[in-house]
Order: sequence, then structure tokens, then C-alpha cells
Amino acid sequence: MMQRIAVRYYRPLILLSLLVLFLLVVLHVAAGSVVISPFDVIAALFNRPVAPYERIIVWDLRLPRALIALVAGAMFGLAGAILQSIMRNPLAEPEMTGATSGAVLFAVLWLSEAGRQLDQPGLLLPFVALPGGLAGGCLVYLLGGAGKSATSRLVLTGVLISAVLRSATSIILLLRQEALGAVLLWLIGSLNGRVWPHWDVLWPWAIVALPSGLACAGLANVLQLGDASATGLGLRVGWTRLSLFFIATLLTAGAVAVVGGITFLGLIAPHIARRVVGADARRLFPFSMLMGAGILLAADTITQTIAQPVTIPVGAALVLLGAPYFLFLIWRRST
Amino acid sequence: MKAPPVSAWRGRRAPILLLIAGCGVLLAGIALLSLLCGTPQLSPPDLWRIINGGGSALARVVVLQLRLPRLALAMLAGAMLSLSGTMLQDALRNALAGPELLGVSAGATVVVAAITILHLAVIFSAIPWLALAGALTGGSIVLLAARRTQDAARLVLTGAALSALLNASVIVFMSLGSQNDISVLFLFLVGSLANRTWQHVYLVLPWAAIGIPLALLCARPLNVLSLGDDVARGLGLPVTSARLLILVLGAALVAAVVAVCGPISFIALLAPHLARRISKTTDARAILPCAALIGAILLSGADLFARMAFAPQELPVGVWTTLVGGPFLLLLLRRRLGARRGEP
Repeated sequence: MMQRIAVRYYRPLILLSLLVLFLLVVLHVAAGSVVISPFDVIAALFNRPVAPYERIIVWDLRLPRALIALVAGAMFGLAGAILQSIMRNPLAEPEMTGATSGAVLFAVLWLSEAGRQLDQPGLLLPFVALPGGLAGGCLVYLLGGAGKSATSRLVLTGVLISAVLRSATSIILLLRQEALGAVLLWLIGSLNGRVWPHWDVLWPWAIVALPSGLACAGLANVLQLGDASATGLGLRVGWTRLSLFFIATLLTAGAVAVVGGITFLGLIAPHIARRVVGADARRLFPFSMLMGAGILLAADTITQTIAQPVTIPVGAALVLLGAPYFLFLIWRRST
Repeated sequence: MKAPPVSAWRGRRAPILLLIAGCGVLLAGIALLSLLCGTPQLSPPDLWRIINGGGSALARVVVLQLRLPRLALAMLAGAMLSLSGTMLQDALRNALAGPELLGVSAGATVVVAAITILHLAVIFSAIPWLALAGALTGGSIVLLAARRTQDAARLVLTGAALSALLNASVIVFMSLGSQNDISVLFLFLVGSLANRTWQHVYLVLPWAAIGIPLALLCARPLNVLSLGDDVARGLGLPVTSARLLILVLGAALVAAVVAVCGPISFIALLAPHLARRISKTTDARAILPCAALIGAILLSGADLFARMAFAPQELPVGVWTTLVGGPFLLLLLRRRLGARRGEP
């Protein structure tokens, strides 16, 4: 019932979600150790006269963080939707491609070798993390035999390879224990201290990867029919799956490079989106993207405010919410 | 995984005994090496003198108070982990059912981590019991959620989700706690044998003394269970309760190890597979002792490596077992995973 309405009024639904996202951004900017009224936030965003300190807080401190949450969330949401459709397994998530753990491994390697602190913007970091993510993705793809068939073997390979990459990360961290505290929060994903330079790193990846992911929705629809039908319809299944996998890895690696190893967002967002708009990838992909952005923004707003002076890393909060949801999903699927 | 008929077992008894003897010799060699290596480096005559009550005071302390308990713990833990892995794999008829992938280790770890980080006042000898409660909770969450226990992918996914949940809750603890605890806890979370003394061995010993013989007694029901539920029921085995008992015993073995050493991954997964490969049988009566020996060899060998590889510095053994064990397991299971295509 709900799904039919959502499909019928799809365009208004998207417009409504965009409006909600805008409100979430305003709320995210308004919340924090200094609470600014949402009207002042909107006034500052549209260059109306407000108190100078509010202007500085809004523009220089909180807006980049909100934008990064918005875009990174969208990237995770889209990556998850793509992976779930190409693996034809609704339980797949970006971490299973090895992209997350590969990017984390390279980033940690870089940080320990170059002796840098994460508190610095680390402009080069994403350029280091990205090849790591791609390498992790390729490793899982090749060992998992995804070219031939996309099934449980890919999932198992992904989980095992991720475990191995994580333990390699642990070795580096343990060899250089002085950097441990700073990196640990990054391992699970956090938005603390993200400023404009981080945004400058994120948006080029987003501009390339998000539209190309959305453009592949039609192909993903054909893939979902199964390998035999897709081949019958004239699709080169192996190539299509490889390119979609590559786009998903690109999205994951780019986002991980800036916000750290956030997991389960790429699993929850497509799931909720599928319940609302159905399995058609042309509707699912954009909506899952918006969903991811909304969830990350909301989660970050909550984690920032809930336990004031301390801020819980948003990645930890997402896992605490996401893992039980995942267990519930798997339990319900097997009934 | 089919148990061969009894006659086949009779015929293969000699090679299996030979295999067990070979493993024993290998284990003795590793034990000797890990008593000798390190700082100070000892020679076999030195060791002989120490055993007979002589030798320098320093060497005596190092061997008797540091290396020997650590070695004993490594052997016990390795044997217990791999027995538990064998039991879980056979009872669930799933090649990837190891305690680390079933949430059993994760459940035990979160309890021990909470005790460590929140500085809860708990009697030392009560920790394994609490860990057992955690292990059983974790294991039953995963088994209840996955239900179809023979589907490897589903089980692994569920276990991975539970482990992620554990890590996240520990990190939440840590971001609320002080920075000093972080490195200690991180060392504990990957599983290590460093700085373990006789006290730790005594903590594990009763669990091992009761658990290991009980596990070896489980061979017959395991063989029957691996024929499939219907056949097992036809042969007169109360399937559900037998499986439940075996799982609880497996969880107990793991819980005792986790309480002392932390979650050491992939020993429990690898040792049974290696045992099956080498002995070329799936008969639990042969596999259980072989797997226990191989587990002891793997863990004490890995610990020797962890101690010596970056000599003055030492990396926890759990990191190495994952780093080497993961790819090795993939390699071992390549054919089996390939055969599972077509499942959701």
C-alpha cells in the first residue's frame, strides 16, 4: 500500500526528501556546544545579517561538517544499493567489498610512515586511501570469483579478506602505538574536526562517482533478472558487474578516505529505501542515496548532542543501530 | 562430511597413530625451541641443568616463571580452541562454523572487555564463568538469527555483524573512558599470550582438565550427527539435545581461553580442516585428537613467531593467526566455496 503510493507520487516524494534533508542540515548546523537558533542558521546561510560569531561558527566550523555528512552518507547509501543489486543479495554491504578495510589499511600505513597526525587536514590522505580501497576491492573481486557468479563465495571472501586487512592494520598500529588513540576513532568512522579542506577532497569523487552510479540503474535492473536472462537480453554480464563493482568501490573508498570506516550505513539505507520505493533500481538508487545522507546527518546530530562534552564517534552509533537491525533482517529472512 | 564405516577406521588406525606420533614430535620440538629462544638465549645443556635444579638464577626465573607457563598456556589454548572448532563444525555440519565466526568468541570478549575497562570488582576465578555466559549469549544470538546453520554465507554474515556490534560497543566504552585504557584493551581485543603466568594457567587448567576429555568423548555422537538429522534420529540419537550439549561444551572451551588470552582467531577454524586434510578421514574419533595436537602446534608455533619476529618488540599472537590463517583458510576452502554457488 505504502509502496504503491510512493511509486505513484515518486517525484513529490523525492522533493519532500530533499526538503527534509535541508531541514536536517539546518538542525545539524544549529546543534552543538553552542546552540544557535535554526532561524539564525538559515539567515546566516543566506547571507542575511546575524551576529558575527554565529556567522563564523556556521560557515567555518559546522557547515563543512554537515556537507561532508550529507555527501558521504549519500555515497555510502548508493554504494550499498549498487552492491546489493549486483550480488543479488540484500545483505551485502560496502565493507564486504574489502574497500573499507583496504582504504583504512593504506591510510594507517601512510599516517604511520609519514608521521602525520590525523588532526591535520591531511589533504593527501584520500589519495592514499583510495588506491587502498580499490586494491582491497580488486582482491575480493578476483578471489571471490565475482566475474563468474555473484553469490555466497564473494560474501565469504569479503568477510575473510576484511578480517585479514584489519589485522594487518592492527600490526601497524601496534608497532607505532603513539598514534593509536588518534587513529582508533578514525577506524570506526567519525566526523569530528572535519573542515573545508576535507570537503575539497570529498566533492570531486562525489561528482564523478554519484552520477555514474545513478546512470547505471538501468543496467542494474537487468542484472537483477539473473545471469541467464541478462545474457539473453544482450548484456555483457561480466563487464557490467565489474564496472558496477568498480563504481561502488570508488564511492566507498572516497567516502571512507574522508570520514573513516563507517559500516552498516550502506546496508540500512538501501533496505529502508527498498521498503519505501520497491526494488526498481531507477527509483531505488536515488532514494537510497538520499536515505544514506539523511541517516548519517541525523546520527551525527544525535551523537554530537546526546552525551555533551564527550562526542561518541558517529560510526560507533551507526553500528550499534545497524547491527541489531541486520540481525533482525537475517532472522526474518530465514523464517 | 560422511563418517566412514567402522572397518575403514580399523584399517586406517596405524597411519592415524603414526600421524599423532608425528604431531607429538613436532610439538615437542616447538616446545623445546620456545623454551630456549629469547633473551637470554639458552643452550640445551643449560635447559637440562635448569630442569635438574641448577643453572643461573636469572635463567631459572625466565624459564620456569615466564616461558614455561606461556608455553603451557599456548598448548592448552590451542588444543581447546581446535577441539571446540571441530565440535562446532561437525555438529552444525558447516565447514565455516568456528567460534570466531559464530559470535561465541565475540560474546566472551565483550564481557571480559567490560570487566577490564569499567574496572568491575570481579573475583579472578569467576571471569571464565562470566565469559561463558557471554559466549553462550553471543553464540545463541547468531544461531537463532541464522537458523539455517548449514548455509555458510548466512552464518558468517551473522557472525560478522555480531562482531562488529562488539567492536562498536567497546569503542563507545573507550571514547567515554580514559585514553590510558585504549592500548591495553586493543592488545586484549586481538588476543595475546604475552605476560601470562602460572596464575593464568591455573585458571584455565580445570576447564581444560574437564573439557578436553569430555570433548574427546563426543566423537561418537559427532559421527552420527554428521550423517544428517534424519539418519541420526533413526539411529536413536536425541539429535536436538545432543547438538545443544556439544555446542555448550564447545562454548565453554572457548570461553575459558578467551577469559585468559583474548579472542585468538582462526586456530579453531583451521586446525580441524588441516587435521581432515592430513589424515584423509572425517571420522571424529581420529579428527578430534589430531585437531587438538595440530591446534597446540599452531598456537605455540605462532606464539614463538610472535615473540621472535620483531625481536625486542612483540606483536600479539592473535594478529598473526588472523593474518596467516585467513588466506590459508580461503585457500583450503576454495573448492568447497565454489561448490556452494547458486545459494542466496
